[in-house]
Amino acid sequence: MTTNLFFQQVANGLAIGSVYAIFALGYTLIFSILGIINFAHGAVFTLGAYFTFTLTGTAFGFNGLLAQQKLPFSLWFPLALLGGALLAGLISVIIERLAFRPLRRRGADSLLTLVSSLGLAVAIVNIIQFLVGAEAYSYPSSALNDILTPFLFLFPDGKVPLALRVPLTEPPIIVRMVQVVIFATSIFILIALTYLINGTKVGKAMRAVAEDATTSSLLGISTDRLIQFTFFLSGFVGGIAGVLVGMSVGITGPYFGIAFGLKGLAVIVLGGLGSIPGAVLGGLVIGLGEALVPAEYIGYKDAVAFAVLFIVLLIRPQGLLGRVFIQKV
Amino acid sequence: MSQTTPALELKNLSVAYGAIRALNDLNLTVDKGEIVTLIGANGAGKSTTLRAISRIVNPSQGQILIDGQDVTRQPPDAIVRMGIAHVPEGRRVLARQTVEDNLFLGAYVRNDNKAAIQGDIHKQYERFPRLRERRTQLAGTLSGGEQQMLAIARALMSRPRILLLDEPSLGLAPLIVREIFSIIRELNREGVTILLVEQNAQLALQTASRGYVLEAGDCTISGPASELARDERVRKAYLG
Ligand SMILES: Nc1ncnc2c1ncn2[C@@H]1O[C@H](COP(=O)(O)OP(=O)(O)O)[C@@H](O)[C@H]1O
Ligand SMILES: [Mg+2]
Repeated sequence: MTTNLFFQQVANGLAIGSVYAIFALGYTLIFSILGIINFAHGAVFTLGAYFTFTLTGTAFGFNGLLAQQKLPFSLWFPLALLGGALLAGLISVIIERLAFRPLRRRGADSLLTLVSSLGLAVAIVNIIQFLVGAEAYSYPSSALNDILTPFLFLFPDGKVPLALRVPLTEPPIIVRMVQVVIFATSIFILIALTYLINGTKVGKAMRAVAEDATTSSLLGISTDRLIQFTFFLSGFVGGIAGVLVGMSVGITGPYFGIAFGLKGLAVIVLGGLGSIPGAVLGGLVIGLGEALVPAEYIGYKDAVAFAVLFIVLLIRPQGLLGRVFIQKV
Repeated sequence: MSQTTPALELKNLSVAYGAIRALNDLNLTVDKGEIVTLIGANGAGKSTTLRAISRIVNPSQGQILIDGQDVTRQPPDAIVRMGIAHVPEGRRVLARQTVEDNLFLGAYVRNDNKAAIQGDIHKQYERFPRLRERRTQLAGTLSGGEQQMLAIARALMSRPRILLLDEPSLGLAPLIVREIFSIIRELNREGVTILLVEQNAQLALQTASRGYVLEAGDCTISGPASELARDERVRKAYLG
């Protein structure tokens, strides 16, 4: 691999890795509070992408109940993204009410919750297919304006910087604007979430519930409300991740988030279950790992996440940054 | 009928964990400004009583009244808002957060401004100077005595009228126990009503004005602390 190609792939890897990171944080937030994986998180990712598509005011395809329908208005893309993420957060709250809370009330085994969240994920996929069909959608280029155009690393005078052209005969590194937008949005979300969790009252309360729910109740923290808020947050960032991936490769259909959801699991296990820095590191490692797969083996790209995971777990069973895991009682 | 409404009253309170009956038909009152103690052997149902008051376990029968108001069906945060703070058995500080954040979370139900809460945190530091020294440390790194102080300080951050203390002497050196109990008396002099659960019956009866003895979930004896301390059955079972 040439130096330029290497840097090119690092740029690609960072963009997708940062999305893995924020998506995986959605799992991590819920896991650290409930000790349970939310298997419907991939479906929320899918919904975020579809809701945003809807809010751009674009018509649906020829299949499904809503064939050729569209909203009577169309939102500026950043607003559509925000709206889509909010709706995804709302759906996540509903998922908690339907699949998590009733079982928690009964003190049911966490395996049951796992199955009930998986069941809801399947239901959501089917509802999407029923409404808008199984075809792929992509955000209208009019909505994304010019962020889809590739651009070169250029100096203001129009010359390609030498450092990025080693040797000079090589093609320059091309960073797509959409990658910059994805990376910047993800980093912004990571910083905002970190502040929320460590620097605000609600964040400290979330960490309190994660550490000791009973004691949190004694302090007057309503654990149900905190859990609800956590699901909202998880759905919100999961929805944004869906939109970001949709911007890059399009919405591939109702199963859009399922494969991504599995990869997200690899990310959190790699980083260490329940660890926030672990989810970020895991996301970047897997994103970069995939990007650096040589072109001739590109068909095996999706296996990289699990290969990396397998090797790391052999050496560090608790994941890269995980605590030694103690079963929650 | 008594003239004044008790600060806290339990009427025929029963609690069961599945098939295990942990508490049967307990009647108990705590008047405003009193220190009342609940003593008994391990497993007698003392912690269960406090957990029922804080509404983190559900009574199977009976009533809990705060200032005469029935709170038996209220959620735990409503109890804290009504002025009850619970210092749980084994301190239960939030080990992964700093001392100061533990105190800050103690004020979770308060809606007043940050300055008032910060002011109260400083009041706790004056009462427990060792906590000030450790304010930026994770609570999990504190010694047992310091954790007990933090647990009490954290409870005080909600500005409670009634403090429920569950075995504050548990596992602490005698010197620290003395310090903790002198603070309990001081809080009471400042007007905080206290329900004190203890296995150390001697210390509890010296501190409280009245006491109740629990045996396997049943209240067998109750009365003024000085009488209990002289009672033959109490002496034999709990005072050695
Ligand atoms: N979470 C629980 N599940 C089942 N049984 C419990 C639980 N907590 C306490 N118990 C039982 O209830 C009884 C009273 O316990 P507890 O109130 O903790 O006693 P004490 O505080 O006086 O030592 C004991 O028999 C104990 O084993
Ligand atoms: Mg106890």
